[in-house]
Amino acid sequence: MPRTKVLPALETRETTAREPRWSVVVDNDPVNTMEYVTACFVKVLQVARPEAHRLMLEVHEEGRSVVWSGARERAEGLAQELQRWHLRAHLESDA
Amino acid sequence: MPEVRLTLTVEAREILGNLLRLAGPAAARSAVGRARVPGDDPELADAWRRGLAEAASGELAILASALASAKGDPAVVILPDEAAGWAVARALTSVRLTLRETVFPAIPDDALENEAQLARLVPRLPAEQRHALACYDCFGLLQLALLARLGGDEIG
Repeated sequence: MPRTKVLPALETRETTAREPRWSVVVDNDPVNTMEYVTACFVKVLQVARPEAHRLMLEVHEEGRSVVWSGARERAEGLAQELQRWHLRAHLESDA
Repeated sequence: MPEVRLTLTVEAREILGNLLRLAGPAAARSAVGRARVPGDDPELADAWRRGLAEAASGELAILASALASAKGDPAVVILPDEAAGWAVARALTSVRLTLRETVFPAIPDDALENEAQLARLVPRLPAEQRHALACYDCFGLLQLALLARLGGDEIG
């Protein structure tokens, strides 16, 4: 008769680390016109004109706006592209 | 989109062309100076700044060429396609930012955004700053006219 082997209990732990979320922030500046900033958002962020206009007003009235949030790589690409359009864009992380 | 045409007086074309020859190189440097690179990776920072410098230089060259080749009275600036139009719109902003940073940095932000406040300030400014402000305004009007031609309703 086969003997039953008793195996030591195994304990597994699973931990997950959330990837930090990166925000692309645009600060207000006194040089760029409202029309230009709106056009930048349409072209760079690929948003419809009403949303671009809303973001532009937030920049103008609040002094800054988070225009996009998500993975770092995409955030870096958007921030550099907005800087290429001469907007005051930078990244912030929630980590 | 077909070519974009803008008209401006011969005098304005000459003044803006001359200013661009002076301010163009500074504008490309200034674009790099404004860069805000995330993190502390020197390779990323180098590539980031190089990308901005190359983009700014290319756009300023398109603007300079468009002004230099404008013909007629009033002068007609012809941009071959939409991409050139957007490049010129960016270059105009680049020059305006450079004028602001280098010629009249002491003017408060509030005054620059408020026509009435600026109008009260202008008579007290040195001639060099008054002339630079006139060019700053002229580049801004040119950009607004260009944006109206380019539209911007379409995404992409």
